[in-house]
Amino acid sequence: MDDLLAARSTMAFSLGFHIIFASVGMTMPFFMSAAHYLHLKTGKPVYLELTKMWLKGVAILFAVGAVSGTVLSFELGLLWPEFMKHAMPVIGMPFSWEGTAFFLEAVAIGLFLYGWERMNKWVHWATGLVVGIAGFSSGIFVVAVNGWMNAPTGFDWVDGAAVNIDPVAAMFNEAWLHQTMHMQVAAMQAVGFAVAGIHAALYLKGKAKEFHLRALKIALTFGAVASLLQPLVGHFAGQRVAELQPAKLAAMEGHFKTSKQAPLWIGGIPDVETQEMKWGIPLPGMLSFIAYDDVNAEVRGLEEWPREEWPPVVITHVAFQIMVGIGGVLAVLSLLFFYFWRKGNFPPWFLWTLVFSVPLGMIAIEAGWTVTEVGRQPWIVYGVMKTKDAVTPVPGMQYHFYLFLVLYFLLAVATVWLFKRQIQVAQKRLEDVL
Amino acid sequence: MIEILLFFIGASLLLYVLLGGSDYGAGILEMLPAGKLREAQKHLINEAMGPVWEANHVWLIVLVVILFMGFPGVFVPLMTYLHVPMLALLVGIVIRGATFTFRHYDAVQEEKSQRVYTWLFSGSSIWTAFWLGVIAASLGRGLIDVETRDVWSAYFAPWIGWYPAAVGVFVICIFAFLASVYLIGETEEPELRRLFLRRAAVFNVLVVLAGGLVFAASYGEKENLPAVFFAHPLTLGVLVVATGLFVALWVFVQKHRTALTRIVAAGQVTLILLGWWLLYAPNALITAQGKINFYEAAAPEATLWQLVLALLVGSCFIFPSLFFLLKVFKTKGREEF
Ligand code: HDD
Ligand code: HEM
Ligand code: HEM
Repeated sequence: MDDLLAARSTMAFSLGFHIIFASVGMTMPFFMSAAHYLHLKTGKPVYLELTKMWLKGVAILFAVGAVSGTVLSFELGLLWPEFMKHAMPVIGMPFSWEGTAFFLEAVAIGLFLYGWERMNKWVHWATGLVVGIAGFSSGIFVVAVNGWMNAPTGFDWVDGAAVNIDPVAAMFNEAWLHQTMHMQVAAMQAVGFAVAGIHAALYLKGKAKEFHLRALKIALTFGAVASLLQPLVGHFAGQRVAELQPAKLAAMEGHFKTSKQAPLWIGGIPDVETQEMKWGIPLPGMLSFIAYDDVNAEVRGLEEWPREEWPPVVITHVAFQIMVGIGGVLAVLSLLFFYFWRKGNFPPWFLWTLVFSVPLGMIAIEAGWTVTEVGRQPWIVYGVMKTKDAVTPVPGMQYHFYLFLVLYFLLAVATVWLFKRQIQVAQKRLEDVL
Repeated sequence: MIEILLFFIGASLLLYVLLGGSDYGAGILEMLPAGKLREAQKHLINEAMGPVWEANHVWLIVLVVILFMGFPGVFVPLMTYLHVPMLALLVGIVIRGATFTFRHYDAVQEEKSQRVYTWLFSGSSIWTAFWLGVIAASLGRGLIDVETRDVWSAYFAPWIGWYPAAVGVFVICIFAFLASVYLIGETEEPELRRLFLRRAAVFNVLVVLAGGLVFAASYGEKENLPAVFFAHPLTLGVLVVATGLFVALWVFVQKHRTALTRIVAAGQVTLILLGWWLLYAPNALITAQGKINFYEAAAPEATLWQLVLALLVGSCFIFPSLFFLLKVFKTKGREEF
């Protein structure tokens, strides 16, 4: 493994790890606030039990999110010093606001976790909401940084240095809106479905059924609304990419030759040698339509860029297919959820489907980030700085990678194990109190 | 404007050392034998740290963000040439934060797993504190060489040596001292109080000894510490006052004046940091090629303004909410679900 590849793998791995916990941190507090609100309004103890059960689970995930995020803030410098040197004066601003958001979040978590009997109950409820709002905004700030890497603005690049810096323009770059909307909705749907699936499994086991049904409904209401919005937001994202990064779009669709009535592929593996798509089902004209709202529009193919500026086509295409495929599945499940809710009864096969959908949203998030990041290659800052020019000169980066591979693997195993124990104990407790 | 940022750098460093440092110290103390008070001690530390550790930890992140946004000229060489100790630090931070939380939130509180968490938590507390010291010491050694291509002299020599190791030990002792003093006032249990009193006394002595070790180890360095420290009346004064305050500390301890005791201990640590600052300011980093100061390493004006704005607005949120947090939890009688 050469140093560049090791550095990229480390970055991808650390971010891919962090994003799971970050997604939970951004959305779970809202689920809890909803359950907590229902308890305060109705006085029913089930909702209090639910709030506390979720809270205990989330406390562990919060800690893993905080430490893996801290690793990232160092790692950006450890892996990409040249990038940090030039980029942070331009786009550091969202990170500084993110710092403020973290602080509020950390204080609010302390208050919410330990403040049950010590505050007015509505003030206490509000601290829980603040946790959510702060987490949600920190997500927006970070993704805005990534938006800038895709659509750099707010500076002039003169002789290898940024001048005439405008940090505000950099933050509100051309990509920040679609990326943040898409990410926040993705987190909501991924976590909503994951939580609902866990409760569906516990429901099927047959104990404390009423409790798990209520939990499922709260979580999946968030998840389903998000999942129905996501295709629209994703479509918006696709159109923005068509405009801002046509090479990424071409790689996403395995579109080699510039053409009118460009097809959208379902499945398929692009063959880079013959520049053709293999084994896919084409929907003629649909790519043109999706990208430019017109079936006859011309879509530029990869042939327009020199070969060394192509992103890895196969990875980008496959990742895109996975994401969109999962998006479709989750949207259908969401419609079914509302349908069965109105009918007043969820058939077991539907609940089993939910159980198997637990990891889907997270897989889509990982795939979506792969599209964004791999599809931007070979650039780290699109059109400005190449990834290979940004990497650290420190040798032996593969050891850095292995170190974190092992560390995070152990951390993941421990987290899953703790989670299982919590669920077991909570389940026992529910049988006693309910 | 740079002065405002320097103030925030100093403030977040100080707060991280005082608040985060006590958390580290608590972990270090758990490594020591406590006989039958072991469980009581663990319980007390969980209660004292639980609500605040996230907030205490964020000071480090604030520091890193100020550095990379405002002073990339400092951040970049730091992360490049001190890559190895930074990694060591990160591993410690991950294990520490995770195991502290796991220990508290593990649904099944059984002997065996609890022992593993505690062992990892306190082991990583010592480890992380040590590397913090190593990194701090490496900033001023003048061994960071931004021109060499030799792997050893670029990435290892800057932080290897007796002097960084001695500073690492010094930091461990300081953190443990801070935690002991702090925890005395957290409990009414006479036995626990006595335990922490004894530890405060032990670490008081160890801090002084480790301080001597730092001075001794610095003799192999380019500039040895006693020479520079004693040459300047201000740094000398700081050192004398910090040492002299031990007398006040023990008077207050005897009189059970919790708040005053804590203030004095915090004051001593503040003075040590101040002495360090006076020694180097406004330089951030001393390399083989010369000194890098904050003024030269700063980002352009427009960026700094945004950073100052974010910090000032942030402070308006952060400090009131932090006070609220402390007020809610430092009033007596905690119970938790
Ligand atoms: C649950 C997760 C999830 C789901 C179901 C979808 N996405 Fe997505 N997608 C993401 C999660 C995600 C993401 C992880 O959040 C990304 C990575 C970067 C970003 O801003 O969002 C992303 C990126 C991303 C990009 C690249 C944006 C860029 O590079 O600027 C496009 C074009 C789409 N998505 C399009 C879609 C479409 C058309 C979907 C159809 C349903 C879709 N996504 C479903
Ligand atoms: C603010 C947010 C982000 C920043 C600043 C950022 C930064 C970077 C950088 C500097 C690289 C190395 C250059 C490269 O290989 O592309 C990279 C790569 C990568 N990042 Fe991001 N990233 C962000 C968000 C994410 C997230 C949340 C993920 C989640 C999974 C992610 C996934 C990846 C992947 C998969 C790569 C590897 C690309 C490759 O190997 O070709 N990124 N990112
Ligand atoms: C799309 C990418 C990202 C998103 C959506 C995101 C979001 C979040 C959220 C919501 C949290 C709070 C998590 C929790 O408490 O459980 C968090 C924590 C954190 N993140 Fe990320 N993050 C992303 C990438 C990054 C990157 C690239 C960095 C590094 C610069 C970073 C640094 C941090 C830090 C330092 C924390 C810990 C804060 C604390 O102690 O509370 N994150 N992130």
